[in-house]
Formats: sequence, C-alpha cells, structure tokens
Amino acid sequence: MQPHLKRVIILLVIALIAFIFIRSLIVPDSFGQYGWYRGESVIDNRNLQVGYAGSSSCGEENCHKTIYSIWVGSRHKAVNCEICHGPSNDHVNNVRIMPEPANESREYCGLCHFERAARPANFPQIDPETHGENLRCAYCHNPHKPWFV
Amino acid sequence: MTEGLIWGFVYPNEVEIQWSVLIVLYPYITGLVAGAFIASSLYHVFGKEEIRPVARFALLTALSFLLVATMPLLTHLGHPERGIEIMFTPHLTSAMSGFGYIYSFYLVIVAVEIWLSFREDIVKMALNSSGWRELLYSGLALFSYDISEKALHEDEKIAKKLAIIGIPSAAFLHGYVGFIFGGIKANPWWSTPLMPIIFLMSAIVSGIALLILLYIASMKLRKHPIDHKCLESLAHYLWVFLILDVALELLEIVSMKYESLEEIDIINRLLSEKIAFTFYGVQLTLGILIPFVLLLVIGLLKNRDTLKMILISISSVCVLIGVFAMRWNVVIGGQEISKSLSGTLTYVPVFFHPEGVLPALVIMTLPFIILLVVTYILPPWKDMEEETTQMGSILKKKS
Repeated sequence: MQPHLKRVIILLVIALIAFIFIRSLIVPDSFGQYGWYRGESVIDNRNLQVGYAGSSSCGEENCHKTIYSIWVGSRHKAVNCEICHGPSNDHVNNVRIMPEPANESREYCGLCHFERAARPANFPQIDPETHGENLRCAYCHNPHKPWFV
Repeated sequence: MTEGLIWGFVYPNEVEIQWSVLIVLYPYITGLVAGAFIASSLYHVFGKEEIRPVARFALLTALSFLLVATMPLLTHLGHPERGIEIMFTPHLTSAMSGFGYIYSFYLVIVAVEIWLSFREDIVKMALNSSGWRELLYSGLALFSYDISEKALHEDEKIAKKLAIIGIPSAAFLHGYVGFIFGGIKANPWWSTPLMPIIFLMSAIVSGIALLILLYIASMKLRKHPIDHKCLESLAHYLWVFLILDVALELLEIVSMKYESLEEIDIINRLLSEKIAFTFYGVQLTLGILIPFVLLLVIGLLKNRDTLKMILISISSVCVLIGVFAMRWNVVIGGQEISKSLSGTLTYVPVFFHPEGVLPALVIMTLPFIILLVVTYILPPWKDMEEETTQMGSILKKKS
C-alpha cells in the first residue's frame, strides 16, 4: 500500500480511538444500570427535598379535621389540599411555618372549569365571559364542597 | 389569535407547531448533498465523460452543504451542546439516533474522496508554494508527496471504490431522512414506506439542479465559456430523475386516494385547503411540470446554446424551489393535520426568532460561503476550463 494511504488510515483510526476515549470519559459510569438512563439519577431524585405532605396529614391530629371531613365527602375529593394551598410539608413538621395562601383566582379554577371542546360534556364548565360577572369563584362556590353554594 | 388558525378537534399539545422552517431546511440541505454527490459519481463510478468538468466541483459542493447539514437541527434544539450525546448513547429503537453515525460515516467518505481526487493538485501546490501556503498544502497532503503514475493510479482505483460505497451511503443518508418521516405511524401524511425513496429522488433532482446553477454561475463569474455538452448532459439527467421523482410523488397521492382509508378526509382537507398552493402550485406545477416541459423543449432544440442555457437555468431554479416546497409540504403539512384526524392547525412563520426565517436564511447562505473558501483552497476550475479552452483554441486555429 502507498504510504499516503497508510497515513489516511492511521488518521481515521486515531479519530475513532479519540471518539471512543471521549465517549468513555463523558458517558456516566452508572449509565445503563437499570435502563437507558443514568442509574445515579434515581439516587439524585430520591435525595430531592420533599415538598408535599399529602392530604391525609392535614386531617390527622385534630388540626383541620372539620374542613377535612367536609372536603373528603365532596366532589372535589380528587383535588388534594395542596393543589390549592401549596406544598405544606414544612408546615406539617413545624406549624409556625405557614404555607402560601391558597390560589383562588378565576384563572386557577378555570384551569379545570373553563369551557374546552376537549373536555367531557358532563364535566362542569363555564364560559368566563358570560358567567359570574368576573367575581372570584369562591364568592359563590365553596371550593371545599362544590354545589354548596 | 390561535383560534382562527385551528379548525375542528385538535389536541392541546399540537397547537404550537414544533418543527419549524429549520426542520424544512434540514432534509433540503441533506438532499442537496446527496444529489450533488450522486451527480459527481455519474463520472467517478459510471464513467460518464461528459460530466467530468463538474465531477470534482460537485464533490466540493456536496462537502460544503454537508458541513452545514447538522446546523438547522442544532439551532432547533434548545441545547445544541447536547446534540453530540445522541452519538454517545444511541438507541436502536430511535431512528433519529442513527443520524450522527450515518452523517459522520458519509462525511469521512466525502472528505477522503475529495482528498484522493485533489491529491495531485495538493502535492503540486505544496511543492510550488512557500510560507503558510506550503504548510497548509503539505498538511493537506499529509506530508506525503508521491504523485508518481503508479500512486495516482492507485488513488483513482480507491476513489472509485469509495464512490461505489459513497452512492449507497448518500442514498442511506437521505433515504434515512425520509425514513424518519415515513416511520411515524401516527401521521397518515408521513407514514408510507415510499417516503425514503421519494426523498431520495427529489434529493438527486435538487442536487443536479443546484450543480447546474453553480456551474453556470461560476463560469460566468470567471468569464469562461460554458461546456454545453456537460450542461446538456446534466439537464438530461435532471429530466430523467424528475420523471422518476414525479412518478413516485404521484404514486403516493394516487394510492392514498384510491385506498381511501379512514384518514382520507383529513388528507383531502390538507391538500385542498392547507397546502393547496404549495402542493399543486409550487411543488407540482412550478417544481415539476414547468421544468419538465422546458427540459423537453431543450431536447428538441438544435444549436441554440444560449437559449438552451437560459432554459436550463430557469428549469433548475424552478426545480430548486419545487423541491423546497416538497420538503415544506411534508414537514409543515404533516404537522398541520391533527392526530385526531378531525382537525387542522396552521403554521405561521416568524422572521426574528431562534426558530424563524432569519436563522434559516443565514444557514442557507453558509454553504455558499464555505464553497467559496473550499474552491479557493482546492480550485476545481482546471477540469471545467481546460476542455472549453482546448475547443476555443481549435476553433481559433480553424478560423
């Protein structure tokens, strides 16, 4: 083989080895441990701080028992406390830390209840232009027990 | 604002069209690469002597466009620096993850092919220059200056072998782009096994058209007579591949209409409302019918070289616009129908935006600048000019 062709082949082999070397440096060691992702990301996620305490912790220990018992039998029972009141794990651990005030804007209720063609017809929906004269929804509706106007 | 742009039932995650004009550009540019390479292999592999003047120029054109082929994709990504990761951890279930490998393999083939076909010139320039130019050309020659007949003969043999590997890889590079669309079963406008081969044919057509225009433009700029034999031969291939291209494109539509599966209503609406102008007007009429007729006329004309050249240029421009419209109709058209098959959406291009028309224009001008630089370093003009110069001197002697 001609010397110049040998040099091209050597160059290509060097490029290939460089690629394999860089790849071995860059791909994390735990890649593929459980699946097509970095295995250690599971540990990273596990170490994230918990923000939400769950609705049951609100009703326990006589803290918010009354409102909890109203909510738990209502049609909003699938909408958990912290969806409106915000993440409350810190508050559960230390009552002096208050959670954010509940979001009670029309737009926030509208995320579920403004009219959309894609929603099931029997799901309660309103046209924000014509319904409620731009008042806060909670002015008429009780968010803890809808239809309890 | 979006209300007027939507008709029927659509899913919320479809409202914003994600694959913009940049994704239209990506198959367009890769198509030009594949087409230019296949045009050059008409000489390198199939030994069509009349193509020789543009054979090496076609390789340089392919390289210039190949170097920017990834740019529309990287610009489209929010994190372009993560683009390389697709090569570090590719997955067999993702057609897209093959791109990096196919692209790199093809880049190596094109680069080595160019190197082999220009090696004699590179070595001569290295020996006849000094200073940084000597260093540049010596580096390009890999500090090996053997241009004996034997060495050049071996180069030619290997270049031919590489071109033989190059044709399927060019076909693979672009057929693969078609496969990315053709393999999406949720979208009836894309999902067809014909898609790779339609992409490939339109790629060849656009590549030859681009080569014709670049050849005419460079000869005009260098004030050199055009080799009309070469030009007409290219126009002939353009015509042949145009027929194959239109046959496949129409076959797809005809079989869709004949089969009339459940998606036919939305396809009809797409064709008659959403992309009617770009499909019937630009893709089929301007991009195929007009050049087809013009190229037919060129075949009938005799001894009217200037008129022929003008007609060939017009056809090539029409073909380039038509193929762009074809990419547009596939990429944008496919996203303008809802996955519900009972609604349509509208893509509104914006100008000043990372995903807008401005970056697309910038990316589209880059290969021409690269070509200018590459032809400055490796001038391919010798092949283009020597034949017509010889002819000119013969004519002069005769007169």
